[in-house]
Amino acid sequence: MSRDTLSRAAPVAPGRPAPRRRPRRATRTEARNARAAACFVLPFLAVFCLCFLAPIVYALHQSLYTTERTGPLGLGGREHEAFAGLANYAQALSDGRFLAGFGRVLLFGAVQIPLMLVLATALALLLESAGARAVTFFRSAFFLPYGVPGVIASILWGFLYVPGISPLVKIAGALGWDVDFLSRGSVLWAIANIVVWQFTGYNMLVLIAQLKAVPGELYEAARIDGANAWQVARHIKLPLIRPALVLTTVFSIIGTLQLFAEPMVLRPLASSIDSGFTPNLHAYSEAFVGNNQHVAAAEAVLLALVACGLSFGFLRLVGGRAKDRG
Amino acid sequence: MTSNPMHRRTVLGGAAALAAGFALAGCGDSGDGDGRAPRERKKGQKINLTFWSWVPGIDKPVDLWNRKNPEVQVKVEKVSAVNGEQYAKMHAAVKAGNPPDLGQIEFPVIPSFLLDNGLLDLAPLGAARHKDKFFGWQWQQSVFGKGIYAVPQASGPMGLFVRQDLFDEWGVRTPTTWDEYEAAAKAVRRKGAWIETFAPTNGNRFSGLAWQAGAKWYANHGDTWIVHIDDEPTRRVADYWESLVKQKLVKTIPDRQNAWYKDLQTGAIAAWVGASWGDALLVGNAPGTKGRWRAAPLPQWQAGGKDFANWGGSTTAVFAKASYPKDALDFAVWLNTDPESIALLIDGGYGFPSAKKGYSTADLDVDKAFFGGQAYSKIFADAGAHVDTSWQWGPGVDTLYQRLGDAFTDALADGSSFRSALTKVQGQTLADLKGKGLKVESGG
Repeated sequence: MSRDTLSRAAPVAPGRPAPRRRPRRATRTEARNARAAACFVLPFLAVFCLCFLAPIVYALHQSLYTTERTGPLGLGGREHEAFAGLANYAQALSDGRFLAGFGRVLLFGAVQIPLMLVLATALALLLESAGARAVTFFRSAFFLPYGVPGVIASILWGFLYVPGISPLVKIAGALGWDVDFLSRGSVLWAIANIVVWQFTGYNMLVLIAQLKAVPGELYEAARIDGANAWQVARHIKLPLIRPALVLTTVFSIIGTLQLFAEPMVLRPLASSIDSGFTPNLHAYSEAFVGNNQHVAAAEAVLLALVACGLSFGFLRLVGGRAKDRG
Repeated sequence: MTSNPMHRRTVLGGAAALAAGFALAGCGDSGDGDGRAPRERKKGQKINLTFWSWVPGIDKPVDLWNRKNPEVQVKVEKVSAVNGEQYAKMHAAVKAGNPPDLGQIEFPVIPSFLLDNGLLDLAPLGAARHKDKFFGWQWQQSVFGKGIYAVPQASGPMGLFVRQDLFDEWGVRTPTTWDEYEAAAKAVRRKGAWIETFAPTNGNRFSGLAWQAGAKWYANHGDTWIVHIDDEPTRRVADYWESLVKQKLVKTIPDRQNAWYKDLQTGAIAAWVGASWGDALLVGNAPGTKGRWRAAPLPQWQAGGKDFANWGGSTTAVFAKASYPKDALDFAVWLNTDPESIALLIDGGYGFPSAKKGYSTADLDVDKAFFGGQAYSKIFADAGAHVDTSWQWGPGVDTLYQRLGDAFTDALADGSSFRSALTKVQGQTLADLKGKGLKVESGG
């Protein structure tokens, strides 16, 4: 777009000397623009600081302190906060259950993210293909699960997983397949199924938005060159939605590491989900069951660091090309 | 958009300053200074108290109080009691400095709140004069040192619920000892049903079973906590249930959730080691099995023994920041001793009253028809009279339950012994309490 503006602006003053007043006016306009921009940005910044930066700063602060208690049996005495250095981080990192949670979500991500994005891409391409029918209906239908809050979705799926109530288990049993969705070995994939159900439509929509932005001339040119639908998808659509794919992958990586609502809701139903099933659940348990906010803060900071590391690592891996078309 | 780097930096600087401001405000909040000093109500002054509870039907006695005491209006706010969420909320409120005036708190978790200085010591308000209105051991559950930290409301003496019709049909006798219980489990299993589930995450019931076997998890010497989760009696209980699990005589699904209710409704599970408050639970969740259940005493380790334990049981506590502590205490005592209030609480199904007077055992048979006309409350009253009253709770029981749940979950998954799970939990609990800045020793 900036190149267009330049080339269109160029013929305006071919070889004519620029008027002297112009730079000054430009500066004043710029200053006014910047002031206006600041006014527009300020509400966002205020909320951003209140809801995003402030909690992070507070969590960082909390993670470096610990509670010390005095008094007989530690009861009824005064408690005070003392600087603990990195002791909370050391405790978090030496907690096997916390680390196992990381292993679990990484495995989860390695399987669930590719699966979901391949599905989302396939659906997006199908709905955007020339032969698609009832596009609006299917687009809404695929997107609909995203409108169901994660907790509700988990409760719904919980009913479909719990033996004795679930029609799925009953049908499988009738077919001679003794299935337990909530057993130690399968509960992670039962959760993956919920997440796929919920977010495939959302990711599909992001990809469709990008597909819509592809100029029609490209398809026309491809058709003239004799490309069939498959070739158009493979050589035009897929390369062009790459930035959207990168974006959805990064979102999915972050979402996976933050996995919380699904295991939290399924926990009372499944003996196989422990208090540290995911790092986020572990931090929650530390904070609200164990009442150790300081260790929980350290775990939250570690989780954020890993999420940052993986997201930027992924962006680096796919290279800077994605930036051009953001 | 053109952007002026100067301006951007100014804006960012402003943002940083703003963030720092919030952070400072955040630190300030966690200090001790609070403007809510306890006050004494002037005569004729109208005040409002908030009360967090999850007990079914609690609003009825509270309404009665509000009608009788127009000047001290109590407002009930219901909290969720799933997976200890109510305590998470209370701990967070204590931390944030805005707890309610009163809260429903179970016996085991009182010490956890004392660690936070979350509860008000009622002794200076003269709470000791109410002591004799309650069963001694239940009063004692909230006494630590010289402090009195709550008014007991109800207890949950444990017992065994059985589907008498199925047991009769299958020729299974109601077990009176744990050996007979295992034999009954085998007989039931042969009929394709299960006697029970061992819910690995139910630390609450497991502690009750250990209590019955004579365990002493917490004690104190001077200002040191003695912790002994893996003592002999507890190991015995762990070995017993491990053996049932390994023989596949019990399920391992979590209890008190849909799949378990379904099993109760269909008879796939034919018994339940529960507690006195379990009548309301069965009536509410398996209404179709009306008339088929009976209550029986908890199976004993020794034939003819009379060892019983408690599962659940709670108090009405006053939070440390209560604005009008005296009125809050008056309400708490009234709620749990006034005969009219007790009658309403019994209707709601709150458990076994902690108060000695104001009701008769027969009043507690709320759902006699469900138990085929059996005067089942007598069984629990008898159990209550034989609860080992030397049992003591310590700080961090909510964490302990979670540790137990995790350890048993692991043991079920990898087939390791329940004993090793106890050893693990013992070590973790010592570390947890040390981490909280307490003096701890292992009782082993």
